[in-house]
Parts: sequence; structure tokens; C-alpha cells
Amino acid sequence: MDHREALIAASNNRANLNYVAPGIEVQGLSLTYPDEPNALIDINLSIPGGEVTAVIGPSGCGKSTLLRCFNRMNDMLEGCQYSGSITLGDLNILDPMTDVTLLRRRVGMVFQQPNPFPMSIYDNVAYGPRIGGLRRRRDLDEVVENALRLAALWDEVKGQLGKNATVLSLGQQQRLVIARAIAVQPEVLLMDEPASSLDPISTLRIEELIYELKQSYTIVIVTHNMQQAARVSDRTAFLNQGQVVEYDATDKIFTNPSQRATEDYITGRYG
Amino acid sequence: MAEGRYDSGDGSVAGRQHISARFSAELEAIKNALLEMGGKTESQINLATRALLNGAGDVAQEVVAMDKDINRMEVDIDEQCARIIARRQPAAFDLRLIISIAKVTTDLERIGDEATRVARMALKSSIREPVRGAESQTMAIAEHGSAMLRRALDAFARLDVDAAVRVLLSAQSAQTDYEEGMVLLQAAISNDPTSLKSCMDQIWALRSLDRVGDHACNVAEQVVYLVTAVDIRHVDEPTLVKLLDSGADT
Amino acid sequence: MTNPDMFDYPDLNSARIRDEKINTLMTAATGAATLLAVVSVVAFLGFIVLLGGAWLAEEQALSATVGQQHSSNFELLLFGGRELASSGGVLPAIVGTVVLTLLMAVIVAPLGIVVALYLTEYSGGGWPTQLLRIGVQNLAAIPSIIYGVFGLAFFVYVIGGRIDELFYASNLPTPTFGTPGLLWASLTLALLTLPTVIVATEEGLLRIPSSLREGSRALGATRVETIFRVVLPAAAPSILTGIILAVARAAGEVAPLMLVGVVRYAPTLPVSIEAPFLQLEQKFMHLGFYVYDLTMHAPGSEGRVGIVAAASLLLVSVIVSLNIVALLLRVRLRRTYVQSGV
Repeated sequence: MDHREALIAASNNRANLNYVAPGIEVQGLSLTYPDEPNALIDINLSIPGGEVTAVIGPSGCGKSTLLRCFNRMNDMLEGCQYSGSITLGDLNILDPMTDVTLLRRRVGMVFQQPNPFPMSIYDNVAYGPRIGGLRRRRDLDEVVENALRLAALWDEVKGQLGKNATVLSLGQQQRLVIARAIAVQPEVLLMDEPASSLDPISTLRIEELIYELKQSYTIVIVTHNMQQAARVSDRTAFLNQGQVVEYDATDKIFTNPSQRATEDYITGRYG
Repeated sequence: MAEGRYDSGDGSVAGRQHISARFSAELEAIKNALLEMGGKTESQINLATRALLNGAGDVAQEVVAMDKDINRMEVDIDEQCARIIARRQPAAFDLRLIISIAKVTTDLERIGDEATRVARMALKSSIREPVRGAESQTMAIAEHGSAMLRRALDAFARLDVDAAVRVLLSAQSAQTDYEEGMVLLQAAISNDPTSLKSCMDQIWALRSLDRVGDHACNVAEQVVYLVTAVDIRHVDEPTLVKLLDSGADT
Repeated sequence: MTNPDMFDYPDLNSARIRDEKINTLMTAATGAATLLAVVSVVAFLGFIVLLGGAWLAEEQALSATVGQQHSSNFELLLFGGRELASSGGVLPAIVGTVVLTLLMAVIVAPLGIVVALYLTEYSGGGWPTQLLRIGVQNLAAIPSIIYGVFGLAFFVYVIGGRIDELFYASNLPTPTFGTPGLLWASLTLALLTLPTVIVATEEGLLRIPSSLREGSRALGATRVETIFRVVLPAAAPSILTGIILAVARAAGEVAPLMLVGVVRYAPTLPVSIEAPFLQLEQKFMHLGFYVYDLTMHAPGSEGRVGIVAAASLLLVSVIVSLNIVALLLRVRLRRTYVQSGV
């Protein structure tokens, strides 16, 4: 199956009302690297598909590291070692035989700082599909338009797709980056503090976008902004020192957490 | 008038929609839930009064049963308020809306309790004999309280400060009925000491119905707070009148 | 009036006056230095333009009175006037310079980019890399004549000699590649300018934020795809800057070229409109050398300065033209690939 067929199959799949993106099962995940021997310790999480799961915790608690396990971005770190397992549907993410480039087409990622490539808006969104082998202009046009519409950016940029992406506002850039990520039709979207460099209104836009995207994507968002986690997520995991302290429905975590440490953290009594 | 700021062209709770449409929807839903609860307490009062005056036992039973619903609604709405505060961190109008809704539920629930009390009196007296002595006063007080409640809830629904202040100003107008009723019932007791039990029940009922107006006032005060952010509890009548007069340029 | 709670700054005013004095002084000093630099450059260019132009005008007048066939300034410059006739004119020297420089650029650009890519993207960044980096930077400090010696010894004799043995044995003992020529001169200049290109490219690559690389990798691109589709395009303006610097330096070099291929007079151009278009083994003429040669060997003494100035004017013009072309290219690239992030 070539990339074009795969994309079409994926979007048809998504068009089905009963479609639910697959969840992620994390079992006994530990991660070490030379600078940080206890980066993650025995993480067990069952992240449901088609929902937004927030990971909160103090700086350096390992939340970004955990997120980067899901698309094996930690592989770029020197001397990084995993144990345990992470599965996405039928895919064993941590298996050394897993093709990370294929994995990353199923698990997209959005970073803290908007990082559009210094090229046109169109080329940014078309980047992933092109890498995947989509060449026909008509197919690309369609993919680009759909992705920009989903990212709620189409109306703002439709007349200027040839314009350099770096001239967009930060908030628009971040939505562009989200469009770029969903253009390859991933099943999971990882977001690493996606709004921390944005102004409050742009932040709300991103949050609203997250809410709308969760219909068809499993979303895991790392944020140091607890209120943001409260606003956008269905489930929240509180991480501290590489361990999951509490993982529950967001309503529960923010109104009546069961762990003292969680309560201290979300009420600002931490440390 | 201040509520001009919150004129909603699009049917939302207050003016323009939030960026998060879901937040707007949540506020809309909680406000509607409150108004529904208000409507229910209002009909509860009316039914309880009818039960009392006509000695209708089945209606009284119905009122007592309704109280369960009212209580459940209060808990639900309060829970939603807590959830919205925890998850949405509302500010300004949204914050006042949540605070006033949480307070209004308490008053509505109390009204429900008063209605239930009246209904229980009705059950007791319906076993013995229908009430006699202060029917017209009881009727007047009940109607007055119920009307105040209705107008306060209307004011809440429409964010109408003028209407809310008028509710507050009308609070005293049932006072004479209440005093007259009390005098009549006291006289009835002196005339016929055997009617003491029945008359005492009636006095309690009268008092409960009178309290409905007080709770309606509290609701109206929350409307003024919600729209103008001014706390008018414990403010005397002349100041209220001034507020009404100066309404145009607030 | 005297509030004990108020802070009192008696020296505030004098401090401000002192600051202003320093500011005025600095403005004057930096301004004077800038003026000096501008005056030098203007004087230099004026010298060349005025003297060169005067010589050309005089030459034209002379040609007109004598009735020679050269009548325009342009032809005079290109084909040589009365005193330039022995060297065959300036045109072959211009062609030689341009061809040499372009060939050098074609060689040095990919080589420099690849080395810079290795240094930034592939090597671990440990001490061997640092050593290599320091080595490269020091290469730029070696006098250019040494490059000429190396080019003659290594390219001409070792490599050229071997090529002759292998492919042109029938012509021996007459050397084909085993003698100074265009290819060896280009290679020598490429080696000379390699550090410039490497350093500029490396700086460009290092300026690309790692978030762009991560963004590309997160979309399922491999490392190579990331380099070719994101990193290199984004660094293109810096790379081009490096090449411009390299071209500017190479076009002005004379000393090493005297050892590896430039001659005073070459009967044919190294390029032609017929196959094989480019004669890599040919010796060629060069403007820089031409200026040198004129200065040292032109007949008479009264006209010498004028001739030299005219040739210098041409040399400067050629280099400026090459740079302008490169600059335009860079502006175009920059419009396409705006430096993102920082």
C-alpha cells in the first residue's frame, strides 16, 4: 500500500462515526540515561483512545521524557535505555525492530516552541506527506487544505499558502505545526507544552482545537500549567520524580485527588 | 443600564461566546438548570398553598415528593459549579455567575423546604379539618411570595437589574397581610383553645410562606451582584430607590 | 521641604553630565575612525577610476589621431592598446579569471558543505571534532603562496604526473596534466578557500534551531531527509555567504596561481563554444597576474601607472560583478528561506 492509499484509508477510517483512535498501554516502563539514571520508574498507564490525557508535574519530573517515549524521540539521546513496554493498538512501540519513521507517522508530535520550517505554509503542511511519498499536486492540495481546516487555520491563510510560514503570528504558527502533524494522519498526537509560548487568547484557541481534535485522535498533552490540564483533559496523570503519583479522571484529580502529594501540587503547596 | 454590556445577540449567557464553545455551553447549561430548579420550587409553593387551603392530601404528598428532586438538583448544580471553578477558572462575569448560582441554589432549596413544611401542615390539617380563619391572608402571602420568586427568577434569566430591585422594594408589601393573619389566628386561639394545635400549624405555615419572599429577595440581590458586581445586601431602601433611579447611567 | 524619607541624590546631575561627555567622546571617536575608513576606500577607488579612466581617454585620443583601428574605450580595454598589444589584451585575462573562479566555486562549495555537515551533524562533537575544527580555522591563516607550492608539488607533479602516466603516456615526455593548468589552479584555490566555506557553512548550520530538526524527525523524516529538506535549505543563505567570501578571496589571489597555471600570455582561451568547452589542462591568463605583469614589465615609465590603474579597475569590476551576482542569489534564497527562530 503506497502512502497515498494509506492516507486515504486513514481519512476514510476517520470519517466513520464509530472510529475511535487507539489508546496507549504503558506497562512497567522505566527509562535511564547517563545523566539521569531514574528518569522514569515503573510507569503504568492506560491511556484511552479518543480522549485527552494530560501529564502534569514539576519541572524535571520526567513528563516530557515520558511523552517522548511514545514516538521514540528519546532515541536521539545518547545512552538512553528503556525497559517495560508501550503498545499502540497492535504495535509494540519500544521494540527495537519497530521502524521509528513509521511509528512517527502514527504518533505525531507538537513542540513547546512553534517550529514551522522556514518555507511556505503549503510546503510546511505538505512536508510529512511528501516524505511519505505523496507526490501528486492534487492529492497534496487536498491533504493540505484538510489539515489546515482541521487546525482551524484555513480561513486565516487560504489566500496566502505560498507565504513564508515564519511570518505568521506565534499562535498561528502553532496551529500550523498542528496542521503539519495531522497532515500525515496520525492516530496519536503528542503535545509538549503546546501553549507555553503563546499569549492567553492564542492558548485558548489551541485548547479549543485540542478539544475538537480529540474526536479523531488520541491526545497526550504535557503541561506545566495545571489549569490548562484542567481545561482540556479528560484524564490527568500527576508525575513526580519519574513516577506516576496519581492517574485519574481530570474532574476527580482537580476536585478531590486521592493522593496528598497530588493535592499539594495542584493547590500550590508543593515542596 | 449595566446589563447592556451583557446583551446577548446570540442567546449566550452573557454577550459574546467564549473561544471555548464548550465553556459557553457549560455556563448556559448550569444557568438553565438553575432556572429549572427555580420553576420547580415555584410550582412547589403554589401546590403547597393549594394543598393547605383546600386540604388536598394527594397534592401535599406530591409536594413532599418534589422536594427530593429539588434537593438532588441543588447538589447537582453545586457540583457543576465546583467543577467549572476547578476546570475553567472563570473570571469577571463568569465568576460572579458561578458564585451567584451557587448561592441562589441554597435559597431555592430553602424555599423548597418551606413548601414541604407547608405541605406537611396541610397533610396534618387535612386529616382534622380544613384551615379556617386566615385563608385570605395566607392566600395573599403565598401569592405574593410566589410572585416575588417568579419575578426574581425572571430578572435572573434576563439579567434585569431594574426588575431585581423592584422585587426587593416590594418585599414589605405583604407585611400587613402577615400581621393581620397573625392577629386573626391569635384571636381564634383565644376564642377556642381547642383549635390551638390547628392554629399553631397555620401560624407555622404562614411564617413559612412569608419566608419565601425573603429568599426571593436574596435571589434578586444576587441578580444585582451578578450584573453590576455591586453587593446590595444589607442596603437600606432609599439607597435601593436611588439605584433604581440612577439605573439609566449605571 | 527636606523630607527625611526622601532619598537624596546630590551627584545625580554631575553623573549624568559625565555620562553625556563620555557619549559625545565615543561618538566622535567611532565616527572619526569610520570616516577614515570611508576616506581610504573612496581614495583608493578614486585613484583607480581617475587614473585608469584618464589613461583610457588619453589612449583613445591617441588612437584617433594616429588613425588606428581601435576607436572605442571598450575595445581598447578588451584587446589592448598600443602598449598592451604585446600581452594580447585584457579579454583573455578576464575570461581566465572568471572561469578559474567559477570552477573553484564549483569545487569548493560541495566539499566545504560536506565537511561542515560532518562537523555539525554527524561527528560526535568530541575532541577529535574540536581538533579538526581548530585545524580548519588555522588553514585560513596560512600564506597563500604556500598553497601554491603545495598545489605544484602535489596536484601538478604527483597527481598530474600519475594521470599522464596512466592516460596520456603516448604524449610523454611532453606533459599533459603533469604541468600547471586550469584544473590545478582551481583545486589549489579551492583548498585555499575551503576553510572560509566550512566555517561559514558550519555557523549557518549551527544557527538552525534543533527544534527544526526535531520537528522534521517527529514527522517521520530520516536524518538524511531532514538534512536535505530542512537543514540545508534553511542554512542556504549562510552557505552562500561563505561562497561569496571564497569567491572574493580567490578572484584576488595571484601569488599561488603563478606556480600552478597562470601565464603571461596564453595563445588560446581555456573555454570554447565547441566541445570539449573547457580545457582543464590549459594554462590561462589572469587579471591579477596581468596587473602584476604590467607593473613590472610595461615599457616606458610615464604611461605605466595609467595602464596598471586601468587593468586594476577591470579586476575590481570583475570581482564586484561576481559578488553582486552571488548577493542577488542570496537575496532570492533568503526570501524563500527566512531564517527562523532566532
